[in-house]
Amino acid sequence: MGVPMDTRAQFAELTTPHLAAAYNLAFWITRSRADAEDVVQDAYLRAWRGFGGFRGGPMLPWLLAIVRNAAYRWMSTHRHAGNVVSLDTLFLGDDGTPDPAMQIAADAPTAEAAMIAASENAHVMRALASLPPVLREILVLREIEGMSYHEIALTTGSPAGTVMSRLSRARLALRRALSGTTEKDSLHAV
Amino acid sequence: MQCEQAQPLIGALVDDVLAGQERRTLLAHLRDCARCAALEAGIRADAPKLAALGRVAPPEGMHARIGARLAQADTDEDFAWGDPVQPVVPVPRNRQPPGWLGLAAMLVLVCGLSSGATWFVVAHQARDAQVVHDVLAAHVRSLLQDAPIQVASSDAHTVKPWLVGRVDFAPEVHDLSAEGFPLLGGRLDFVDGRRVAVMVYKRRLHTINVFAWLTEGAGNSAPRLIVRNGYSLVTWTEAGVTHAAISDLNSDELLVLQKLL
Repeated sequence: MGVPMDTRAQFAELTTPHLAAAYNLAFWITRSRADAEDVVQDAYLRAWRGFGGFRGGPMLPWLLAIVRNAAYRWMSTHRHAGNVVSLDTLFLGDDGTPDPAMQIAADAPTAEAAMIAASENAHVMRALASLPPVLREILVLREIEGMSYHEIALTTGSPAGTVMSRLSRARLALRRALSGTTEKDSLHAV
Repeated sequence: MQCEQAQPLIGALVDDVLAGQERRTLLAHLRDCARCAALEAGIRADAPKLAALGRVAPPEGMHARIGARLAQADTDEDFAWGDPVQPVVPVPRNRQPPGWLGLAAMLVLVCGLSSGATWFVVAHQARDAQVVHDVLAAHVRSLLQDAPIQVASSDAHTVKPWLVGRVDFAPEVHDLSAEGFPLLGGRLDFVDGRRVAVMVYKRRLHTINVFAWLTEGAGNSAPRLIVRNGYSLVTWTEAGVTHAAISDLNSDELLVLQKLL
């Protein structure tokens, strides 16, 4: 059962630097720190099994494509089980403002709640979290990972035109979410 | 151009991927329409806000947990590969077919024999397999961590006393720099349900972990080489202490180290 010794080392060398990017993408798709780790573990396992099919080229889009698939697979299996509490049901009311009733109902704040509340950019995180997953992920890939349209297309497996139009939709949606949640922010924008 | 047509193009303008006629028409619209111009300014301002979020930091130890899970998955596949095959029992042809009772009795006997044989083989191999599995997992984990060494010293007289205070025997520690195996240090690890001493050596760029633990009552045994997942593993027992040296180094050079120790 010989995995050539340098294959293993090569895999570690190529994928380890991208752990933080993988985790960040998984977090923003699942919106849960615990799920994100499970997703990344699953994705790295799949990446290692599929490493023979990796034909060189940039590692990050190849790896993030696997992370992304693992995250959506995770969401579709675990959403049905009702295990996932989405961030916006926890933190946002129907009007997009934090819902005090929800915060009272959840007597112990989750790790995500604490993390977001502690962040200086809490309103940006909440706005991003409130978008649909395909719009969240494309903003994460573009603005946090700084990927090009081409790299995003490789990661999401969609044509460049789709990347452009989806990114456009995502930006409009984020703008709406940001100007909706903070009065101060929209004043800044105008 | 209407606002509904202009707004979806603002993102492309911001990314500077909009060209030609479309770009000129959009710029003209933005000059005329204060609402869309404000939207453009807002979108331009949002990008750095997202960038400022940075990545959500992975939880501590995730790296090591992934390494362990990868190592585990590999060894699991190995074990499945090596499962004992059930023997095929030929049915005698020229004899009178046994009656229903005889057939049932034979079936019970065959099942009993084969499961007994399987149990015997598995029980015998399970312990060895567990040790190989643990050593491999610990080795890979040590490679994935930033600090595989708890006491970093090339001096055997520093490493040995540190280990002696932490395990139930005195492991052999030598600095083999002259022979091309410089000692990097030592640490503790957990193999087969016990605390074990680990001496870390280097050969060129390859890290070698030498695990050592007390095996009371076991006689000396000659070095045994196992290759798994591309890692070479040499195990031997001497003076009641079992050693397991593991590395991605080629097995010949690993056996050289074994002789030196």
